[in-house]
Amino acid sequence: MSSALTARIAEDYAASVRTRAAAEETPRLAALAALLREDLPGNRDENWRYASLRGLERLRFAPVAASALAGAALPPPVAGFERHVFIDGRRAPQLSAAGSAALAPIGPQPERARSADQRFALLNDAFAPEGAALTVRGDAQLELIFLAHGPADAGASYPRIGVRVAPGARLELIERHLSTGTAGSFVTSLAEIELERDASLAHYRLQDLSRDSTFFDTLLARLAAGASYQLHGISTGARAARSTQQIELAGEASALRMALVALGDGAQVQDGFAQVQHRAPRARTEQLFRGIAAGRARVAFNGKIVVAAGASGTDSQQSLRGLLAGAGAEIDVRPQLEIYTDEVRCSHGATTGKLDENMLFYLLSRGLDPQTAQRLLKWAFLADAFARIGIPQLRQQIESSLAAGLKDEALKELL
Amino acid sequence: MLRIQDLHVSVGGKPILDGLSLSVARGEVHAIMGPNGSGKSTLAGVLAGRPGYEVTSGSVTYEGRDLLSLPAEERARAGLFLGFQYPVEIPGVNNVYLLKAALNATRAAHGLPEVDAFEFLTLVRAKMQLMRMEDSFLSRGVNEGFSGGEKKRNEILQMLVLEPRLAILDETDSGLDIDALKVVAAGVNSLRAPERSCVLVTHYQRLLEYVVPEQVHVLVRGRIVRSGDKGLALELERRGYDWVSGAAA
Repeated sequence: MSSALTARIAEDYAASVRTRAAAEETPRLAALAALLREDLPGNRDENWRYASLRGLERLRFAPVAASALAGAALPPPVAGFERHVFIDGRRAPQLSAAGSAALAPIGPQPERARSADQRFALLNDAFAPEGAALTVRGDAQLELIFLAHGPADAGASYPRIGVRVAPGARLELIERHLSTGTAGSFVTSLAEIELERDASLAHYRLQDLSRDSTFFDTLLARLAAGASYQLHGISTGARAARSTQQIELAGEASALRMALVALGDGAQVQDGFAQVQHRAPRARTEQLFRGIAAGRARVAFNGKIVVAAGASGTDSQQSLRGLLAGAGAEIDVRPQLEIYTDEVRCSHGATTGKLDENMLFYLLSRGLDPQTAQRLLKWAFLADAFARIGIPQLRQQIESSLAAGLKDEALKELL
Repeated sequence: MLRIQDLHVSVGGKPILDGLSLSVARGEVHAIMGPNGSGKSTLAGVLAGRPGYEVTSGSVTYEGRDLLSLPAEERARAGLFLGFQYPVEIPGVNNVYLLKAALNATRAAHGLPEVDAFEFLTLVRAKMQLMRMEDSFLSRGVNEGFSGGEKKRNEILQMLVLEPRLAILDETDSGLDIDALKVVAAGVNSLRAPERSCVLVTHYQRLLEYVVPEQVHVLVRGRIVRSGDKGLALELERRGYDWVSGAAA
């Protein structure tokens, strides 16, 4: 099925293709063909109901031209982490650590089958100008900063990483998405992660793009036996943000722990979809989501856990909570559980509500002003999502930038 | 200090306080006793500014000000303290932060600068010692996972740090064993001073053996039916509330 949107995607593709070698085109063309066939998702699609998709009609899809940014205001470095910076998806050596053994440009990609919820990954497949392939043996600590610089009316930004953690290896990875441009950007990012036997990854993903940006993110991960994946996601930026995370527990006794935070204010839309597939016995999932919608923002999260036949001994826990902090705000939190086997332990809890009146009164009765009391309670609401950030310095950075986001100096004292 | 005149209060359209009058002079401790459902906690809540109460008539003056016109936080900053019957758990906000924020809010209302961090900790530690609380308590979430007794001690600790002019303690003694009761009583007594007053809301006279009140009032069906000295509490203990309930009919 073709639409005005896919017609433009094809047109933008044709314009961008001239700058590339012919050999590269085969998998890209296949992705494009799949997109033209499937179209981009719409709000009628099951897992896309709450995403902000209308703005797509005004966007350009060809990669924005490379910009040679000499300097940028970057977050303070995290001790021990090797930093690599990308501008609109292209590596910026001038802002990065010298060559790394672990990091290489992604070579020509094989053609991949993508599911219906991975159509923005297809967009990245078709257009990403380059990407980074990260292979880790032993221990590594890396920070990847993806800067969105080019304005949306000039084209799109396509961050792309492939991460492979070898058997028994350990990686701590910080992935940031930030803006440096003066106008909002259109970012479609893709992260593909492969954790081999007994590998471990602690992944910190921070999205804080400018409030006039559009962000579509796809994260695909696969865990082999005994692998462990800790995923922390904090999404505060962009006007319209959508994150699709599909994680497959393919190996026995693999373990996933997700702690996701989404904050929306003003007219922001923060939409998240996380699908976890248990395909092997005795794997564990802990999924925690905390979202706050203030102003007229919409914050949505759909957490789906599928336990396949044969995945006996699965242990999954979901705790999804939404906080409504604005009269015109909207929160939609949805846990879903599909179980096709016996002998599993699956629990889920989902709540949405306003600030607890009793807590609020308790703080007021101690003399705190209502604004401070409310901020404090919002903070407290998020606390268990931050408690597990294993890098103290990063945790402090995140907490103090959030305290600034909640516009309260006093909160910084908490940290 | 506190003057309540003919106070009528409803909750959800149902009258709870029905013409309650009470005066507490500076330096005095008053005990309010009464059976379940007599309106004791409503009185405490109304005085502290808890939402959900409808004052249908009557007045409350505190230090010459119209108390009911002030929002809860201003009452607190003006020196009124409510010790909660059920202290609220606030995971994620630690005790030391709340203590400091509360103290600074009151100081700011009196034109004083923020408390020095070192002085503050010294002060809090001294008060914690009095309340027999361990240091680790400071970094824990407010009342998070505290036992009933710990919560009540925490209320008194907050009171000691804030040094209110009028403390209203709502069943602070309930659920305490005898040792904890003595600790709590010692905390309350340490604050007794000519410029401070205290209203103890309680079911039992046990607390009053340790914190001896100037006056005891019996609240039945929303009004005070009898007042006396501490002997009244003992008599109540002996004869039960039925003895005074008849007087309210």
